[in-house]
Amino acid sequence: MEATNAPAASAVSAAPAAAAAETAPAPTGTANGTVPTGYQQLLELKSTGRLVESYPEIERLLSGLPEADLLAAGQLLRGLDAEEVAARHPQVPTVSLAVTGHGTLAALVPALAAQLARHGMAARIRPADFDSYVYDLSDPGSAVYAARADLTLCVLDPEVVFDEVPVPWQVGDVEQVFARKLRLMDTLAGTFTAVGRGTLVLNTLPLPRRYAAQLVDHASRAALGAVWREGNARLLRLAETFPALVVLDLDPMVAGGVAVSEARTDAYAKAHLSPELLAEYARQIGHLARNVAGRTKKCLAVDLDNTLWGGTLGDDGLSGIEVAETYRGEAFRAFQRVVKQLGSQGVLLAALSKNDSAPVREVFRDHPAMTLREDDFVRISANWQPKHENLERLAGELNLDVGSFVFADDSAYECGLVRRELPRVGVVRLDEEPAYHVEKLLRDGWFDTPRLTAEDRLRAVRYADELERKDFLASFDSIADYLRELDIRVRLGTVEAGEVPRVSQLTQRTNQFNMTTRRLQPADVQSLVDDPSALVLAIHSGDRFGENGLVGVILGRWRDGVLDLENFLLSCRVFSRGIEKACLAAVLRYARERGATAVHGSYRPSAKNGTVEDFYPRHGFVRCPDQAPPESGDAAASCRYYRHDLAEIIAVPDHVHLTANL
Amino acid sequence: MLTIDDLLGVLRDQLGLPVTADHADRALDEIPGWDSLHLLWLITTLETRTGRRIAMADFLEASTLSEIHDVATR
Repeated sequence: MEATNAPAASAVSAAPAAAAAETAPAPTGTANGTVPTGYQQLLELKSTGRLVESYPEIERLLSGLPEADLLAAGQLLRGLDAEEVAARHPQVPTVSLAVTGHGTLAALVPALAAQLARHGMAARIRPADFDSYVYDLSDPGSAVYAARADLTLCVLDPEVVFDEVPVPWQVGDVEQVFARKLRLMDTLAGTFTAVGRGTLVLNTLPLPRRYAAQLVDHASRAALGAVWREGNARLLRLAETFPALVVLDLDPMVAGGVAVSEARTDAYAKAHLSPELLAEYARQIGHLARNVAGRTKKCLAVDLDNTLWGGTLGDDGLSGIEVAETYRGEAFRAFQRVVKQLGSQGVLLAALSKNDSAPVREVFRDHPAMTLREDDFVRISANWQPKHENLERLAGELNLDVGSFVFADDSAYECGLVRRELPRVGVVRLDEEPAYHVEKLLRDGWFDTPRLTAEDRLRAVRYADELERKDFLASFDSIADYLRELDIRVRLGTVEAGEVPRVSQLTQRTNQFNMTTRRLQPADVQSLVDDPSALVLAIHSGDRFGENGLVGVILGRWRDGVLDLENFLLSCRVFSRGIEKACLAAVLRYARERGATAVHGSYRPSAKNGTVEDFYPRHGFVRCPDQAPPESGDAAASCRYYRHDLAEIIAVPDHVHLTANL
Repeated sequence: MLTIDDLLGVLRDQLGLPVTADHADRALDEIPGWDSLHLLWLITTLETRTGRRIAMADFLEASTLSEIHDVATR
């Protein structure tokens, strides 16, 4: 397509056109007394030099901003010093990103800054030199490796291949170059695995029309398509070989209508990927970063009327709501299917509705066309309380941080209220067109995780069991009676090969009972398992209501006859039942049997682990202020060390049946 | 119509850069907070605002805000 008036037609300006419409009032918007938008408030903070000071506010300011304003916000946030933010606001998680790649990535840095800020994190971004990815990832001494980043982004574009294809070219030339690049990627991922830290992110190469269309015969064009996709498929499969690797598939983003590149910036600035595509890429990185920071969302709370079904149950009744078969009914059915699909992968589902409880339960139980049923949900909360209060109560019942919830509702009022009262809840604002519900819900990868474990698929059942336990608890006079009746079984043993991904995941998802909040990638766990001086123990538990699965981890290290507990963590589903005490008792006994002179434990305060700050002193450990830190760096500064002399060891609680296999 | 003041306003209001009329004829790298990576963003922003296509190759060669303004309004 030739554009006569480029700005209107060009890919680059398509989205900012919307920006102009939405941000145009920015300079004057406050003059006439209107409430300033989040963007305007952000601009005010930037102009008055208060971005660092007000950083914890920014998550709220960015919440619900239109796409274009979010990109504009990135321009204001780029260059913000993450160290200053961290120093001023220790509760704000910092995620470090090293950015390298093939072309100019000017638009990526602000997009990343905006995405991380939107999730309440600060981004420490280290961009590498232009087109330096081969050097950056092959030389263990490069600045990219020196950055020790949580996420190393290596952004690839189609020119990685076409730069080296001769002119004129045939499909075989493309095939050869792509094969060479795949060997290179394999080598780079191998080097990263050996010497890098954290996660390496690669991406597939979109095939621009300007190459396919150069071939005039359909047979060759089809062959190019096949060769190209085979190359991308092999790139995607590299992640099966390298656990520290994530390969983002850009094809679905391009299929969603985002242009691959813009001809002029491609030609003049070697920016081979469009700002819109880089913004989509950054959106996905935002969710990977949430994961690194232990902020993955865990629960989806959905409204009912006009969200899961069409119509108002209170007015229209069970037979009047639209759940299937009508035009709108089919759209709601499609949405229910997607919600069910998320639920099958470990996302806890809850329903939050301003309705009477009985008719709602009747719909889930008796409506013949409903896709979702009562047992798909951990809780169905139908009452007339404000929704933010229901969310907080549910978080309490599930022992989850309310920040791990995503809330989807078609009402602007309810969405606005939840945003205001609970800014850390992810809010998905649906509207009166149910056909858009699915894409709005999936617009953000709220529940993205690098790998799913067997535990994830059982999570909903386990949490539902947990709520049953709570109801069961309510029928007892004392917690001690309750615990005896619960028949708790605990198995403590060394981590087996198949458990490595789950152990890694627990270190990343667990925030409350996490003594030192050290997040470990699967590769980090594996190297501990392989290390003879390290002790890596898994805690499994179960009770009369069912199996809890692998719920906890103890990480220790032998140093000069002392067993040093570097971390101890337990899923929030199962703590305060004596499981932690039983396991600690077993480890102390084990250390004494092995001839240890003492066991040391560390506690590193975080924003969320205050409940376990006295865990060690409560169980016979004594604070040792002069103890040399077994780790180095900033992290050690705030660490507290405790020592147990192994003279008197706590007993395993009577109500816990412990099997220790150390 | 994009005046030089409009251009300065864009830099102030959308990048938060403290620019004044004095900066119009100074080299871009003398502008506090300026980054050459801002150029690509600025082209897009100005094209959207003026609804006209800007000659990007000339724009990238501009060395002052006045020159940028000339290219953008040509």
